[in-house]
Formats: sequence, structure tokens, C-alpha cells
Amino acid sequence: MTTRAVETWTLEPLVKFVKEAGARLVLVMTSAGQVLAQHGFSRAVDVMSAAALGAAIMASTDEMARELRQPPFAALNHQGERHGIFLAGLATGRGRLVALVVYDLDVSSLGLVQLFFEQLAADLQAASPKDSVPKQVLAADFERQLSDSLNTLFGR
Amino acid sequence: MPDAIKTLSSQLAQDPDSLVFLRLGELLRQKGQLDTAHRVALTGLERHPHLPDAHDLYARILADKHDYERAFDEWDMALRIAPDHVGALKGLAFLYFKVGDVQQAAAHLEAAQRAAPDDPGVAQALAMARGGGPGGGGAEAGAGGRGTEPLTEPEPIAPAAQPLEEARVFAGLEGAQEGLLLLDASGRVLGGALKDPTGQDVTDAVAAYLAGVSQEAARTVKLLGLGRWTGLAAEGTLGHVHLAPPTSDALLLVVRDRAVPMGRLAIIAQRAALAARRWLEAHA
Amino acid sequence: MTAPAAAYGKALDLITRVRGVRGAMLVSAEDGIVVAEQLMEGIKGPAVSALAASLATRLRRAMEAAGVGASLFWHLQAEQGALLVVPTPAGTLVVAVAEPDVNVGLVRLELLRAAEVVG
Repeated sequence: MTTRAVETWTLEPLVKFVKEAGARLVLVMTSAGQVLAQHGFSRAVDVMSAAALGAAIMASTDEMARELRQPPFAALNHQGERHGIFLAGLATGRGRLVALVVYDLDVSSLGLVQLFFEQLAADLQAASPKDSVPKQVLAADFERQLSDSLNTLFGR
Repeated sequence: MPDAIKTLSSQLAQDPDSLVFLRLGELLRQKGQLDTAHRVALTGLERHPHLPDAHDLYARILADKHDYERAFDEWDMALRIAPDHVGALKGLAFLYFKVGDVQQAAAHLEAAQRAAPDDPGVAQALAMARGGGPGGGGAEAGAGGRGTEPLTEPEPIAPAAQPLEEARVFAGLEGAQEGLLLLDASGRVLGGALKDPTGQDVTDAVAAYLAGVSQEAARTVKLLGLGRWTGLAAEGTLGHVHLAPPTSDALLLVVRDRAVPMGRLAIIAQRAALAARRWLEAHA
Repeated sequence: MTAPAAAYGKALDLITRVRGVRGAMLVSAEDGIVVAEQLMEGIKGPAVSALAASLATRLRRAMEAAGVGASLFWHLQAEQGALLVVPTPAGTLVVAVAEPDVNVGLVRLELLRAAEVVG
């Protein structure tokens, strides 16, 4: 399984996290769903769908938190029969990012994912460029940027 | 002989501290009254814990009862007290021979010969061990001791019970082919074997899982700041297991049924770890 | 039938009273999440729970493969400490974090008692 990054500073923390937490699939993305790094995905279309869905879930729960007049929820976990999905936000010098983690219940657990997610958040925070301003993705550039990102994420 | 037993029993009853228990125990052993011999030897050993002959006697009885692991302990203890104890050297030679380690058997017999150069039995056993060896018409030692004189009897001996190379890792340890397993860091079997309670060989299946257990144990102690992990003991509904890293890149598993207490299992594991370390160093 | 949460605290309390025990926890075996805890300062509860559960899962598989049945108690020994665990039938792990020279027999007994309470 390969781990690839559009922004190289995310690579090392992500590789470490995948190894420690035993994660099957991981996306690190912006709140808008722009993918910075991925592990385990083999098709570009899956990355695009997962990123869009993950970002949408985060947006929904952020909104729910706002309705409840409380800070955004730290993390979400859904557990199925064989897999779990963990979705959480993290703060970096690149702005707020979102991590989507899919784990096999045979190999990992929510406890392990949570434990090593804390480390991932700290590592990404430490590795991120400190004074970079999050780039605004313009509609005109969107398709080209997406295409570039996907090419990088799949080593093309 | 029954008269002798009666006489010795009566002497012992009159003077429980007397060393006559050595002769009585040996006589009973030779007559095959192993349970009575066991009681006599154990009582004598309690009164004379530092007497190498008492450990030797007890070991012979245990060996006759096929409790080779404890026999090994007792002969080992006798040698710690008296490093040239011929009986213990012969006994250990027998156990090594039994698991197919002719080299160790010969080394112990050579030591016995140095201690007792005029003992024809030792010379004869040594010649057989050197010439025969397991699978080569060498000596199956019948359970070890003077009455049976396993390595000193001239009769042809069947091939050793466990001539496999793997068994040699745990030479002298009981269960080398059913309850001891040595693996390398990637879970490959280096020695020993494992059988489940139904007698089915489960070596490969267990080996496949153990690498994961060991990695998790190492990670757990590291992240919790507990230093190096030294062992993992577990009680199961049907048996007990003890896992230990004899070296940083090897893993040892000892499995016994529930009758073996956890503390004793830890001692067995320690001894097996020592044997494994020696073997790993020799094969490095 | 599981015990009320208040009973958990009492059960853990009995474990932590054993000399050399630095903390006790109830952990969900499946998730590796803390259910209840009584820990001395400096012990990382989430780490203990996640790692103990993960090790318990791996150990269970190995023990099943070896034919020794389900685990009733296990003890991870390390140079500077120990982890002692009793799994309950309902899927909870009763965990003690202890000094390396703790009285294992006594801790085991308290863990088993706590496991009965927890169910």
C-alpha cells in the first residue's frame, strides 16, 4: 500500500500514523475537501468521493455544533461489522485540516486510531509551514488543481 | 531384597535424619516401587537439601517416571552443589542423549570420565555415544540411573526419541516437540514444536500469530515507558502460556496444561530461554 | 447484568489498594476505549487502554491457535513495570498497571474479583 502526498511535509507524519494505527485508508485534506495526502487508495475516483463525503460530514457536524452553541466536535467514529471510519479535524500552520481514517477492526481499534491520531495531529502541526496562508482555490483553477493533485497522489 | 527394604525402612524410622534413605530410595526404585521411592527421596531431600546424592536419587526416580524436566532440574542442582558428581553428569548425559544432542551427552560423559576414570560404565557409554549417536545405532537411554544404567548398558539402544535438529535447541527440556517454540523476529520457526490438546501440530498457526503478539508487547511497554519487556504469561481455560524474548530478535513460547502452575511455567521458560540463547549464539 | 457505574469505582479501588499498583482501569476490549479508571498521575489512560486491548486481541488469537482456550488472566512483565489484565465474558478488560515487583498473586485475585463485579 502506498502513501503519497501533494504537500510533502504531510508525508512522514502520515506514514508513521498508518504504521502505528494500522489504518487501511487515510486522507488528509482541507475542510473544503482538497486532498493533501492519501494512503491506501488505488483509484482517483475513490479519493474524490471520499474527500467530498468526508468534508461534507465535517461541515454538517460543524453546523450542528454551531446550532448547539458549542465548539466543533473533535472527532466522529462510525463502526461497522468489519471496518471503522474515524473523521477528525486538526490544526496546522496550513490551517484546519481534516483526517479521514478507515480501519479494519481485525487489525486496529478506535482506541489505537485515537491514540495515534493525537500524535499525527502533533506531528503535522510541527511539520507544517508556519506562515503559509491557505490558498484559496478559485473555480477557474479547480479542475486543473484537482487533476494535478490526483496525478501526484497516484504517482502519475 | 524385600528384607533389605524392611531393614532399611526400620532404620530410617528410628533415625529419620539418617542417610539410609539413599539406599532405601534406590532399592525401591530398582524394584519399580516408584511412588514409594519418590516419597522416600523427597523426605530425604527435605532433610538434606544440600546433599548432591539426594538430588541424584530424586532425579533418577523422576527420570524413571518420565518426568525428564524435573529430573533435569535435580541433576542440574546436584552439579551446582558438586560439579564433578558422576551420577548427575551421567544423568544429564542421558537426558541430552534422549533428545538427540549427542555432543552434549558426550561432553557430560567426558566430564564424568575425568571425575571417575576407572568407571567402566562411563567409558562404555561414552564409546557408544561417540560411535553410535541417534539414528546410528546409538543409545536410547532407558530412564536414567544406576538401576537401569542407561548409558552404561551394553545392549543396543533404539534411536534417540527426538533426533531432529529442532529438538536440540531445547536439549534436556521436556516438551521440546510439543510445548516449546522458538521463533525469529519475523515469526519463522527456529526450533521446537507445538501441539494442541488433541495432539494436532499447531506450530505454524501459532507462529503466525506470535510475531504480532511480540510486536504489540514491545510497543506497549515502549509507549508506556516501562523499559524492555521481559515476559508475557497468560492463563487460558485449557492451558498456560509463557512468552519471552530470549534475545532482541527472537521469541520463545512455552505452553503447558493447566496443571503446571504459572510460577513453575516461568521457571521452565527461563531455562528454555537460556537454552535458546546458547543455541542462537552458537548458530549466529 | 452489568453493575452500576458506582460499583466500577469500588472495584477499581480494591485493585489500586494493592501495594505496587499504580492504576486500574476498565477497558472496552473491542474498542480499546477507557470505561472507568483510577490512575496515578503520569499514567496515560488512553494509551494503556488502546494498547492493552490490542495486545489482548493478538494474544487471544495466538492462544486459540495453540489450543489453550480463552485467556483468563495475563501479565506483561517489563523492566520498569507490569500490565496485569483479566478479560470478562462481557468484553471488558480489567487492567492494572503496576511496579515490576508487585505481588502478582494478590493483584490477580483483585482483578478477578473486579471482573465478577463488572460482569
